[in-house]
Amino acid sequence: MGQERFADVVERFANGYADLAAAASPERVKQWQEELERGFKRMTNLAEMVQHPVEPRTGQTPREEVYRKGKARLYRYASRRSHKTPLLFVPNLGISRPYIFDLLPGGSFVEHMTREGFDFYLLDWGVFGPEDNDLSFEDCVVKILPRVARKVLESSGAESLSVLGYCMGAPLSSSFVASHPEVPVKNYINMAGPIDFSKVGLFGLWLDRRFFDVDRFIDTMGYLPADMVKAGFKLLRPTMDLSTTLNLWWNLWNDRYVEGFNALNKWANEYTAFPGEFFRQWVRDFYQGNKLYRGELVFGGRPVRLEAIECPLFVVGAKEDYIAPPECVRALMTAVRSRDKEYIELPGGHISLIAGRGASVHCWPRVSSWLASRS
Amino acid sequence: MIDPSAASQQLFELWKKQLDEGTQAWTRLLGQNPTPTPDPLSFWKPAMEHGLQTWARIFATTPVAPDLMSQWKQFLDQSIETWSKALGQVMNTDAYAQAMGKALDQWLTSYAPVKKSTDQSIEATLQALNLPTRAQVTSLAKQIMDLEERLDRLEDGLAAILRRLEGAKA
Repeated sequence: MGQERFADVVERFANGYADLAAAASPERVKQWQEELERGFKRMTNLAEMVQHPVEPRTGQTPREEVYRKGKARLYRYASRRSHKTPLLFVPNLGISRPYIFDLLPGGSFVEHMTREGFDFYLLDWGVFGPEDNDLSFEDCVVKILPRVARKVLESSGAESLSVLGYCMGAPLSSSFVASHPEVPVKNYINMAGPIDFSKVGLFGLWLDRRFFDVDRFIDTMGYLPADMVKAGFKLLRPTMDLSTTLNLWWNLWNDRYVEGFNALNKWANEYTAFPGEFFRQWVRDFYQGNKLYRGELVFGGRPVRLEAIECPLFVVGAKEDYIAPPECVRALMTAVRSRDKEYIELPGGHISLIAGRGASVHCWPRVSSWLASRS
Repeated sequence: MIDPSAASQQLFELWKKQLDEGTQAWTRLLGQNPTPTPDPLSFWKPAMEHGLQTWARIFATTPVAPDLMSQWKQFLDQSIETWSKALGQVMNTDAYAQAMGKALDQWLTSYAPVKKSTDQSIEATLQALNLPTRAQVTSLAKQIMDLEERLDRLEDGLAAILRRLEGAKA
């Protein structure tokens, strides 16, 4: 290369491609034309997104409210209900809104499960305000979940129910199932729910009691604001927004991708606050004390021991899950006494189990087929 | 016809050389400081090297196609992934967690008195204007929630009685 100037090399580089274009075959010319068309389409869609932003129509599967308590709502979705046992879906509390589970027609977990004939119930914990700051993890397990389970049984007319916990919904629902043996839970599913908090990754380190004083935080703030939840999750994966923007630009020519992006992006930037006492207990007993896995929790005078779970168990972990790494999810397999149990680990991250094309192909059919044979 | 692969390789080599020279210049500049400072580039260098090598590999192995953009996208994806891993390593250390905890502590120390005085002055203003304060609205909401809880307990009790009656009938 010697003393060649930078500009010379750039020129030769450009000439190389120009020469190639001159000698191009008809197929190559067609490829160029397609690439050009994509470029134009990208610009058109970008202009459309900026000038006329569309509010995505999420949560379109028909449903009815069955029960409400405080901010929590229990919804029953319309389906042909070909399976006898209803399914109660318990998602995370706080952090984000549950419409991710019914994002868009053709890309909705709820739609998939109802199409498969499940009598599907979703518990929406709601958006919390200062009046909810006294709500604790224990209240959810002792006061809300037992009533929700009873409402599911009453409205469905079934004798037993299946429970599916996703993300934080798994520690919540497994604590409930483990401490309420009188509730007839026929099957239990854990999707990306952390159980062994000694293996919970970056959040586990950042919330370690050596570095984070949760009592001081809640005593000062009263609750965990949505902006702080957002900051925590963004910090967990600082390059995520860059990656998302790059992928958006790359797929901006594709109208279906843009529609999916709008819906997912709306959800991904809509964080919700944690009630103060809930966050205090969540950090102290789970992240710092790992008390669920150790069997040291007592809620409402009832011991919470995972070995009390004896029903068939299905656990789904995600290989690149940095919120609930697969090893902390898989821990439920050895903690319970169930004989009929299965663990699968799927490619992708925390959200890719519940939203996106990969989920509809790799994850949801596995969950529904496992459950169908036991419902 | 000039081979575009060779040209792109040369472009890359030249860019890399310029980056190296720039890095050396900055290092020399920092080296003029009498107190020895830790080399901030040493940590990022493996990540940058990895990115550069990836780009070089892509240009060397990928056949030239009209979608030069796809090569660029591939390079960016891998660079972002490399940066993400590097940042992940930094954030997964006790030192980082400690620094974050300390920053949060300091923020709470400065925030607490400001919050207290703001809350007090807002409350005093609302009271003077004969308007309900946040604490009063929150208290009202809590009373409604307590009422709801009592109704739920009543319903639980009734359901238990009904179950017993049904059991007795059977």
